[in-house]
Order: sequence, then C-alpha cells, then structure tokens
Amino acid sequence: MPKRGNWQIGRQQEYPYEGAPPKRQVAYIFDTNKCIGCQTCTVACKTCWTSGKGEETIFWNNVETKPYGGYPVGWDLNLLREHPPARWQGKQLYSITIFENKSGAETPPSGHRPKSEDYAHPNLGEDDIAGMAELGNHFGPDHPMWMFYMARICNHCDNPACVAACPRKAIYKRPEDGIVLVDQERCRGYQECVKACPYKKVFYNIVSRASQKCIGCYPRVEQGLVALCVESCIGKIRMHGFLSTQEPPREDNPLDYIVKFRKLALPIYPQFGTGPNVFYIPPLHVPDGFLDMIFGPGVEEAKKMYRNLKNDPLLLGALMLFGASPQIITRYAVEGEVAIGWNDKNEEVARVPFVEPVYERPHFDKDREVYRHNTA
Amino acid sequence: MERPETNGLYDSANALSAARQTFACLTQPSRRQFMCNLAAGGAGFAVLGLQTAAWADQFQAQEIDNPLANYPNREWEKVYRNLYHSDSQFTFLCAPNDTHNCLLNAHVKNGVVTRISPTYNFHKATDLQGNRSSQRWEPRCCQKGLALVRRFYGDRRCKKPMMRRGFKQWIEDGMPRDPNTGAVDAEKYLQRGKDPWIAVTWDQANDYSAQALVDIARTYSGKEGQQRLVAQDYDPLMAESTNEAGTQVIKFRGGMPALGMTRIYGMYRNANLFALLDDKIRGKGPDGSLGARGWDNYSWHTDLPPGHPMVTGQQTLDFDLCNVEHSNLVLVWGMNWICTKMPDSHWLTEARMKGTKIVVIACEYSSTANKGDEVLFVRPGTTPALALGIAQVLIAEGLFDSKYVAGNTDLPLLVRMDSGKLLRASDVSADYEPAELKNGITILEPGQNPPLPYLQPYAVVSKAKRLEWGDFVIWDETRGELASISRDLVGRFMTDAGLQPRISGTVSVTLSDGRKVECRTVFDVTRQMLDQSYQPEQVAKLTSAPADAIRGLARQIAANPEKTLFCLGMGPNQFFNNDLKDRGVFLVAALSRNIGHIGGNVGSYAGNYRGAFFSGIPQYIAEDPFNIELDPNKPARVKRYYKPESVHYFNHSDRILRHGNAVLTGKTHLPTPTKAILVSNSNSLIGNAKGHFETVVNTLRRVEFVSVQEWWWTASCEYADVVFPVDSWAEFKYPDLTISVTNPFLYVFPATPLPRIFDTRSDMEVMSGIAEAIGTQLKDSRFADYWRFVREGQARPYIQRVLNFSNATRGWQVEQLEASAAEGAPTMLETRTYPKYGGWEQTYESRPWYTRTGRLEFYRDEDEFIDSGENIVVHREPIDSTPYEPNVIVSAPHPLLRPKQPSDYGMDPNDLSGDARQARHVVLTVDEVLATNHPLKKYGYQFTFHTPKYRHGAHTTPVDLDIIAVWFGPFGDMRRLDKRMPGVSEMYVDINPMDARGIGVEDGDYVWIDADPADRPFHGWEHNPEWYRVARLLARARYYPGTPRTVTRMWHNAYGATYGSVQAAMTSATGLAKSQSTNYQALFRSGSQQSCTRGFIKPTQMTDSLTIKEALSQVMAQGFVPDVHCPTGAPREAMVRITRAEPGGLEGRGLWRPAAIGMRPTYESDSLKRFIAGGFQEKA
Repeated sequence: MPKRGNWQIGRQQEYPYEGAPPKRQVAYIFDTNKCIGCQTCTVACKTCWTSGKGEETIFWNNVETKPYGGYPVGWDLNLLREHPPARWQGKQLYSITIFENKSGAETPPSGHRPKSEDYAHPNLGEDDIAGMAELGNHFGPDHPMWMFYMARICNHCDNPACVAACPRKAIYKRPEDGIVLVDQERCRGYQECVKACPYKKVFYNIVSRASQKCIGCYPRVEQGLVALCVESCIGKIRMHGFLSTQEPPREDNPLDYIVKFRKLALPIYPQFGTGPNVFYIPPLHVPDGFLDMIFGPGVEEAKKMYRNLKNDPLLLGALMLFGASPQIITRYAVEGEVAIGWNDKNEEVARVPFVEPVYERPHFDKDREVYRHNTA
Repeated sequence: MERPETNGLYDSANALSAARQTFACLTQPSRRQFMCNLAAGGAGFAVLGLQTAAWADQFQAQEIDNPLANYPNREWEKVYRNLYHSDSQFTFLCAPNDTHNCLLNAHVKNGVVTRISPTYNFHKATDLQGNRSSQRWEPRCCQKGLALVRRFYGDRRCKKPMMRRGFKQWIEDGMPRDPNTGAVDAEKYLQRGKDPWIAVTWDQANDYSAQALVDIARTYSGKEGQQRLVAQDYDPLMAESTNEAGTQVIKFRGGMPALGMTRIYGMYRNANLFALLDDKIRGKGPDGSLGARGWDNYSWHTDLPPGHPMVTGQQTLDFDLCNVEHSNLVLVWGMNWICTKMPDSHWLTEARMKGTKIVVIACEYSSTANKGDEVLFVRPGTTPALALGIAQVLIAEGLFDSKYVAGNTDLPLLVRMDSGKLLRASDVSADYEPAELKNGITILEPGQNPPLPYLQPYAVVSKAKRLEWGDFVIWDETRGELASISRDLVGRFMTDAGLQPRISGTVSVTLSDGRKVECRTVFDVTRQMLDQSYQPEQVAKLTSAPADAIRGLARQIAANPEKTLFCLGMGPNQFFNNDLKDRGVFLVAALSRNIGHIGGNVGSYAGNYRGAFFSGIPQYIAEDPFNIELDPNKPARVKRYYKPESVHYFNHSDRILRHGNAVLTGKTHLPTPTKAILVSNSNSLIGNAKGHFETVVNTLRRVEFVSVQEWWWTASCEYADVVFPVDSWAEFKYPDLTISVTNPFLYVFPATPLPRIFDTRSDMEVMSGIAEAIGTQLKDSRFADYWRFVREGQARPYIQRVLNFSNATRGWQVEQLEASAAEGAPTMLETRTYPKYGGWEQTYESRPWYTRTGRLEFYRDEDEFIDSGENIVVHREPIDSTPYEPNVIVSAPHPLLRPKQPSDYGMDPNDLSGDARQARHVVLTVDEVLATNHPLKKYGYQFTFHTPKYRHGAHTTPVDLDIIAVWFGPFGDMRRLDKRMPGVSEMYVDINPMDARGIGVEDGDYVWIDADPADRPFHGWEHNPEWYRVARLLARARYYPGTPRTVTRMWHNAYGATYGSVQAAMTSATGLAKSQSTNYQALFRSGSQQSCTRGFIKPTQMTDSLTIKEALSQVMAQGFVPDVHCPTGAPREAMVRITRAEPGGLEGRGLWRPAAIGMRPTYESDSLKRFIAGGFQEKA
C-alpha cells in the first residue's frame, strides 16, 4: 500500500491511493469557546441541502454536546472502543491509523456501521455534564463538572476514509479546493463509506438509495462565499478558508496562521489518520485528558495561547475576523486595533475594530428640534 | 438497514419541499430529474426511487483508477448548483420578542421561499450624524428564524377566518343572557376548546365580533351593568371600576407592542376608539366617555424587574449587550445569556477572549455556565439574600465608594426612628419653603400641559406633586449641622453646593412642634439589617453559596468600579421576591460605583419592552376618535380614552388581592371584570399563561368574547371564539417598525413582494375591519375613518406621525428607514449614545434619578412598604419554591422592621395557603427559617420546579416545527418510533439522577408532575376528570446531572396539551397529540409546564404611593403605571411532587434505549466511562 505524509501525526502513513494534494485545501476553524450550541448552522444546512424525503435523519452539520452527545449515537466511542488507543510521543503518533489495521478479518479502513436507531435522538446528551452539580458549588476557571459544544461537519480530509472504502470509486476529492464529494450519479449505495468514515459524516438516503454527505457548499465556494453553516454562525465561532498545500503556508493567510504557524486550532481525532480539515480551538474549561484524546497533542499550549490573546494582537485580529463577512478571506492584516480581511480578488471584505465604536449625541438636536435621552 | 418510517414528519414543510423540488425539476432538463428527486425527494418517492435507479443503470459507468488523482465525470455537480440557485430574494424582519430583531434574506424559487439567510448588512446602520456600525454585528439570525420557511407554509398557519360553533350559535340565537345576572349560558355557548370550528368569511367574522362587542358593552353599561357584574360574583370594587362604562369590561392586548409599532400597538388604538361606542350607549360626549381597557405587557410577562422603578423611579435600567466588551468583570446573574441572547452571545465570548472575566451565578450548570471563568450555584430564589451578603461585605470591609454613595443615593438621608418615615425639611421647620428645582426637571404650573414628548428635556412634574415630595434632610459634616437637601443636589451639584453628608450615625432631631426624635441615616439602618442578618455565613445558609465565594465576589466587584456589569435575567426575576432582588443588586452596584457606566452598570434582560423609544406613540394609539385628523401630513390630536390595566388580576382568577379585612390592590391599580378579550401577537395571554388551566377551565368561562389575531395556530387560538388569520412576517403588505432594548438599532419590517400564501390580512386591516363593522352596526362613519389610511392601503402616515413625535426617532423619514431595511440594514436609534446605556445622564451630567429624592432610593417609607416589612431591603423566601416556610421575611429584630402581621388583617397566622401567603409578613431569623418546612413537604412535594426559557424557542416560536423540535433536547426522533410521543419531540423535566433514583424514576421514564393540589392545575380539578386528564402534567424525565439535588427544570417554550390534542392522541392511529380539527400540535401528552404555576400578586407592587416616571414620557407619576409599577407574578415558582407514570422503553416496556445501551449519565457503559476520562489514548 502506498505511503502518504500526514503532518498531523508527524509521520508517513498507509493509504490506498497516491495523489498530489489539491491546489489548495478548503479548511475550517471552529472556536469551541464561542460555540453556543444553537444549531443555526444545522438548520441553515438542512433547509438548503437536505430537506427532502429520505433525508429526515440526515444532518450534514450537527452540533453535539461532549461528552454525552454524538450523532449518530456513539459515533466516536464505537470506533475508539474497537481501535488500539492512540499513542503519541510529542507530536508523533506511534499507534496505527484506521488505514493500518491488519489484525482483523476485514480490510482497512477500520470502521463500524451505526444501527438505524443510532440516527434517532440527534441531540441526545444536549447540555449533559460529566460530573454532578451540587448547590453551593463554586469553581473556575477549570470546571470540575463540564460539557462543551462541538459543531461537526465533513472534514474534507486529506486522506478520506470514504474515498478509500468506496468499492465503486464514486467518491473523489476536487483538485481545485480539496472538497470531497459522493458522485450522486455513480453511487450505488453500498454504504462502505458510511462504515468507513470515522466521523460518520456520510449518510445513506433510503429513498434515493445513495450515500450523501456535506458538499462543502461548493456552489458557494465557487463564488468566493463561505459555507452556509459558516455564514449563519451567530456565535462567530467559524472561519472558512483555505490552507496552503502546494506552496508554503503564509502568515497573512488567517487559516495558515492559526493552524500551521500558531497551532491554536487542532484537528479532530488526528490519530485516525484521515488528515481532517476542520480544526478546533479547544475549550478552556474542560480537563486536558479528554481534549488530548479528541484533539491530539497541543491542547495545553493552545489553551495558554487563548488565555493570552489580549496580548497577542496578530492572533486576536485573525480571530476577530470570524463571522465578519460572508466572503472567504484569503489574506488579512492587523492595523492597530483593527483587523482587515481581503478576498481572493484582493478586495477588502472585512474591517473589524477590536472594540465597537462609541458615539455621543447632544442632548438637544437644534436642527431637528428634539431632546435625546438614554434613560428613557 | 430498514426503511425508516416517515410518518413522524408532521410538518407540511414536506409539501413545501416537494412543491419546491417539483417546481425546480420542471424547469430543468430531464437529465436532471433524477438528481432533483434524489437530492431533495419528491412525491411518490418509493416508486420513483426504483424508476430512477433503472434509468441510471443505462448510464455507462467509467473505469476509475485513482479517485484521489483524477475523477472524470464531474458534470453531475450541477445538481447541487441548481438546488442552491434562487430566482430572487427579499428582506423581511424576524422579531419574536427575543429582543434581537433580525433582518433576514428570503430566497425565492418558483415563487416559494425555500431558504433564509442573514443579510450581513448590519454594519451599514447609520444615524442622523453619519456615524456607522461595524462588522462586529454580523451575522444576525438564529436557527428559529432560518426554520421559518416551514412556518410560512406550515399546516398550522391560520389560513382563513375561523369561528367557534358555540359562539356563532350564540350570535345567531340573538345573544341570549340570564335575565337576572346577564350571564351567558356557559354550558351551551362557552365550550371553548371542545366546540368544533367553522370557517367563515371575513365579513361574517367582523360582523359577529362587532355584534358581540356592542352587546357586551351595552349589557355592562350603567348602574344596571355594574349590578349584573356583582350578581355574577365579581368583586364589587372591580364592578365599580367600570365607572358605568360597559366598554371598560372589554380588554385589548397587543403582545409586546414595541414589536409592532403599527400592527401590535394598533390594538390600543382600537381600545381608544371604543370611547365612541361608549358615547353611543351612554351619550356622555367627548368629555364623559370611556374607551376600553388596554392590558399590560412587560409586567404581565414578568419581564419588568419591579425593583428598578423602586430604586431609580424609572421602568428599567439596562444597556446594549455589546457593552460587555468595556467591562473587566461581568456577573451573569440568573441569566442564561448563551441560550436566550444568542445573536449577542459573541459579545460575551469575545469580551472573554479579550480578557474580561465572566462570573456565572445560577441554580444549575447552564449553557452559560460553560463560558464561566467563575461559577456559583445557588438555591433558586435566594439571590436577594446573595446580593445583601455582598453588600454586607462591601460595607463591613470598607470597600464601598463613600463619595458616590453620598452624592447619588438616599443612604445619607435621615430616617425617623419613630415613624419609619424619611425626615423632611418641613418636619424640622414648619415654615420651610421647598427649594426651587432647576436640575433636570420641568415643573408644571396648575393648568399647564407637559411639553410635547420630543420637547421634554427631563422629568416633568406638576407643582403640586413637587411640593408634596418636599425636601429631605442630611447631617452636613462641613458645617456640623442638619441641612435640607433638595432633589437638585445630586452628583457634582451637591459637591458644588458645599455639602458633605454624613453617611453613618444617629442624630437627635428637634421637630418643629418641639418633639425630639431619634433619626438615623438610611445607611445606618441598612447596615444594621445587613450586619444582623446577612453576614456571609448567614447568607451561605440561605443560598448555599460558600461564605468565601460571597466575600470573593464582593472584593472583585469593589476592585472594579465602573467596570463591573450586573446582567440579570429572568431567572431571579420570575420569583415573588423579584423586587427585593433588584433593590439588593442596585445596592451592591451603588456601593461599588457601577451604575451608568459603559462597562459598569445594572441591566435586566427579559422582553423587548421600551415603548419610550416610540414616545410619540400617543399620536397613533391615543388619537382623539371624536376629532380624527384625516390629512396624512398633519399630526393627530391626542386624547386618551382607554385605560391601562394589569392582566395579573385576570390571571388571578379575575380577582384583586383581598386579604382578611384589607384590600391590598391599590385604588390606582383596580381592574374591571373581563367580559371580552381582543388579543394579537401573543400566546402568553391564554395559551402559555401561568396557571394556564385555571385560565382555561375557570376564568375564561366567564368571558363572553375572545378574538385572537395570529399567523400560527397556538393554544390561545384553541380557546378563542374568533381567530383572525394575519400575514406572516414574510408577507407584510405594510411596513412596520420596532426597536430593541439589547441592541442600538431601529428596525423596519419591510413590506415584501411575496404574495399572500393564504387568505390572511394585516393586523391593522383586522382592527380596521372590526371597527368598521361596529360603525356599520351603529351607523357611524367615524369608526371607519379612524382607520382611513389603512383602508386606503397606507400605514406610512401613522408611522411618520410617531417618528416625528418620538425623542429617539425624530428626524427620520419612514421612506429612508424602509430603503435601508430593504438592503438588510437597520438604522440607529437616536439616543444619547451609541451603543446605549441607561443612567448616562445621571452619571455623566449629574441629573437626578426619577425619584422624589433624585437619588437612587434604598429606603421606601411609603405605608405599603412599611406594612409589608420591606421598607429596608430584606430577603423573603420564595412564595412556593422553597423547602422552608414560604414568603417569610428573613431578619433578626430590627427597630424599623414593623410589618403587619396576619392577625392585623384578621387572618389565621397558620394559614399558609397560596392565597394567604401573598400578604403574609411573618419575620424569622436565618436559623428560624431553616427550621421550618414547606407545608407540602410532608406529602412528598420536595422539588423546586422552575421553567426557564431555552435556545430552541423564542417563547413558543417555532418550537413545533419538525426541524426545530427534533433538536429540542434528547427525546427528538424524526421517525417517532415510540408512538406515545406527542410529536417528533416532546417536553421533559430535568432532574438530578440521584433524586430520580430516590423516587424510583429511570432516565427517559414518563412522570407525573403535580404542584399544590389546592389550586393546581386548576381549582376544582377533583370534580372535573375530563379536564384534569388534559391538565395534569405528564412528561419525560431526563437524568440531568447539571441540576443540583432538589432542583428540577422544565423549559418554558413548548406548546401545552389542549383538549383537542389530548383527544387526538387518545383516538388517532398515529398517537400524535395533534388536534384533528385545528392541526394544533402539542409537545405534551397532557398538561404543560404551566400546569404547575399560578397567579400570585404582591402588595408592594400594587401601591398608590410609589413615585415613578411614566413609561412613555418624562412625566412623573404615582401609583399604578402599566409596565412600570404593577404586579409581576411569580411564574417560575412551584414545589412539585414527581411520580413515575410509565417506563421509558419503546411502547412502555423497559428502559429507554439510550440508557439501556449505557450512553446516559449514571448508566455509563465501561467504555463511555473510559471515554469521559480521556482513556482511549496513551501518552508516551
């Protein structure tokens, strides 16, 4: 089996196909400290893309409460349970990825197919905490009982398990932006992709009898617009853009800067070896152990960096651009206390002050003959 | 995999989806047909699936070696581009009383709105000076707004005028009444909720409504009318309050009218118009006629923080939530910001990102708690004590700002220890001449009218009232003598006057009659109260908060003057002791100099209420109906004929508060009996009322006419007589206006190009239609003229008049605002600052507060407060939600605490019934309180049941849509495998797992939840099994480890069971709790969260004496002011007993699956335990 480099696990790994990386890779950063679990992203996605018959339980985007939540139920736990535990030494993974499991009867990638009941209760675990609250509890900033919201979409992986598993080769990665698609004309509904995707982000449509997954909102990306889940994110937790692939990362590309240079945002379950392209800023209040398991090495450093943002204007500026514009920002700069973002055509699409301006007005507006009041 | 059943999808959004795809497919090449059906489904799905598969097989599959390197057939990608494509878009405003007000883009395909998105143009808001907002505001929307595509077209739209059969019969029978009492035969004609519905024409709906209204007004007019009311057993004082005008028993309510300046406030315009009806009946002319009554809103919803006017004299102090980025320390106090202020949550999380510390005070691990840098869980309903504990530390440790306190609060004023009254300058000197006031006040000479609203610079008061206030007395340290202090002398004006009040101490004062009385400062008597009863260790016993936490909070607050924000939410506000909570929090904020600063202030967050931003609204709602201005370019002549009233009396079984031998509802507050209700835009009045089933089963049976204007069939529609279907926000044909109390913008609801989907009309057209029908009946053209512009298709003249007369909008032309809104941008409100924050004038310009003293007042010397034992700020236990004796005052003996005791009212001291508690002023020390018990505790009523709001609904909007409901908690299931489920989701109670175990309840079981059987779910349930079956609360139990033991929680937002929904669930094959006659969809099998609540009214909120500012102007008033000083109830209070009803497993067998497979709290499988511990990894 060919080998591919995977920067997230600090080593080469096996993968059934060879191939150059796309021209640039669509990528997302989700700040869990800002996520409010509102499901606006979910509904934005649902009403546009999956509102038909056979799609009732298909949610390309969902937000789940960790640790009890997950859609489908137990999507990650059920894989972790079957797979050898992740072993990291520094930033390097020593345990096997899902593509390297040779012990079982089945060929890699390892995976599991959820039961149909696992697609009931999409918000199972909502707000449920690990631990038990008692009257009089007083704590912080680390929370002895905790939960956090984790928004999830297709990771448009560097090494997609769905691509690897499809017997019909009906799934591909677009060379221009790295978006992974299931060809709806070619798919025959074998559901190997459903089984293989460790994130369970490919869904089977019982009516069309094909597998369907997040399309990265490519009709919007093609117009320079962020995905609908990003556009509608009122928590302003999301940034959507591109990681440099065929050229070295650029400091003025906010995604490169946050993910590659500063490593504030981390991949989700990098140990699976899929090279996911949704990166999470870990929640400050949650114990490191759980977060290390989910996001791999670097959680502690990321938290420290986040707590110091007020002294880190370049990083803060990049974060202030989240949700500022429906256009994809490919370049940014910080001037004083203002972050500025440009799109691919070099047009300024965002100019964001760190603090909203404050204006005062006179008590009596002579021109309009009126008294103004704040305390009305 | 099995083919899933889809019968759970009960929204006709499927029809919308099918329609939209069918349309889309028709316009596309046939080759795309396959993909259309595939991507979004269509009619006849199963067969089509096979056909399309066969068709696809003819397609020549191409060999692919390496899909990662090369994929040849990408032509198919067009499918999703086509699905994404819209033909056009337009802007509309979504404003479901959540204070956000989002301008949204509706994307139209083949004439149908198929999806909704944010406009991303909030950064284009400007003011008249050319200032502009920033992209920090983007995007503005939420899941509920985006889901509205399924509500515009949903099967619960109010689609055509509907009439209840019994009501129609009553009209057609000639409106018969009991010859002795005038009552309508309830058995025959008032079977609301049970009667079938009949579709009628608009003319019929208007005409029948008009007939009923005229008949009701006639029946209850004159002395005879009053006698009929008494004969029907209404309180004589209430009957007397009609002043013989039958129109006064007719109640109008526009639900949170600031949300619709024309279409919701318009209800009050009709209330004013009814003076003409009174004139027709009683012939009293323009000077003797009375309009209808207009019900309150902000206070009815218990959104009003009633202690704010007690301290500041003004409705509510608050600030735009974006101000949080200016503070160092934020106390999120009983406010679930993350769930209920969703589009403004980023301001909180971004402030935190930039270094602001977030402290969360709650009674559970809420979603806001997970953003907290410091979190404290306290016993529900005890934060008045918490505030007092913090205040005690601030004073005891000398951490308070004595200069601020001296210049801006009443704490240095002297209070007489003999009478408990504040010492007046006239007490000391008989010939004292009150000072001439100049600072921030306009004094009206007798006969002089207040200036027009927009020309009111500051508070406006009559000379007589000013003289009544008098001046107050301090001990001046500079001169070492008593000194009178006028209202003018606040802030720098006091300093400039050379006064230096002594804050603490006792003075022996010789009165003008020669008597000597001991006087102490308010500070002094307050400190005594705090030191005796509210030291941290004592407060810890009451609240559960550790004493160290209380001290820590106090020290942090003191370390951040002008930089600490107190953000209070509905949590503590919905308890009976809510005014005490406000007074305590203000005390802390004042002691620490955190009022009126952009980063240091007090705010209360509930409801979108501030009609004062439309201070010119009388131009519209109080236009003189006897003298109508028909020139659209001229202002209206204003004369108010309608009278405001609090709904809380109607909600209190249509009773005032009689307590033993006393009437504790002030004269200025007195309601009339309610015989007719006209309501728009509000499900809170009936459908989601506290004590909902008491309203439905008992109170509503005495009401003779109920009309509801809605665009979605709510529980209120279920119990109406006439339902007028109105346009949805996407179909407005007239522009409308609204404002926000949490953001700095002025909003237009744009008129849209979307044709009406059903036979609906605008709210104003409905009001106009009813008015015209009355006019036709009475042969009086003025009824039609009152709505002339609407009849001509215009709302702008009414809007422009209000814009011209309002302080915050004068200067704007409605067309300018509309043009901006059409682009998806609001405009800025013209307040003193952007963003806005209350208290600015007082803090930066040293203007007096809207109180008698001009100061923040912490001592209330009015008789009602002294009699209630609340002259000094104290803590009272909750009125129901406490394990201890309800509503007791917590205090050691204090020389100024002299409340009336039960015996003073002729009441039995041991009477702890719900009604008796309301004015029970028993005083106990902290330790004595802890030794008492709630009277029902011994019967197993051991859980506090509170009902906060949640993220998946703005009130009940749009919780019953499938794609929202399925996310509402853990029980959602699109396929409804368990046929007991009322819909694709259902309501649940959060309970601590250990508590649940203790009562034999498993996670996911159905449970009965019962509150005090003496009055809930409704009086007389024992003898009424038919309605008890509807009203008794049945819901799932969720093991929720975030609720501490003894605390249970059920979200406020779900649609309750109705007679129709319960019948349907019992008789239909699907088991859906969806009324077969109306499509009303309940999220309960029976009961609602309001099965456990009831109406309570508090004496200190019904005074005739409190001095406050009117809500809509700068004019000072006393006693009742709607939405400012009136009852607020206690809608979050209930002690409940929970008992297992059915197992949670499928069809009632065994354990609920998620628990059975070890995925739930306390049922964790070994692997889930390992997962939570982060155990699936090994660090080298």
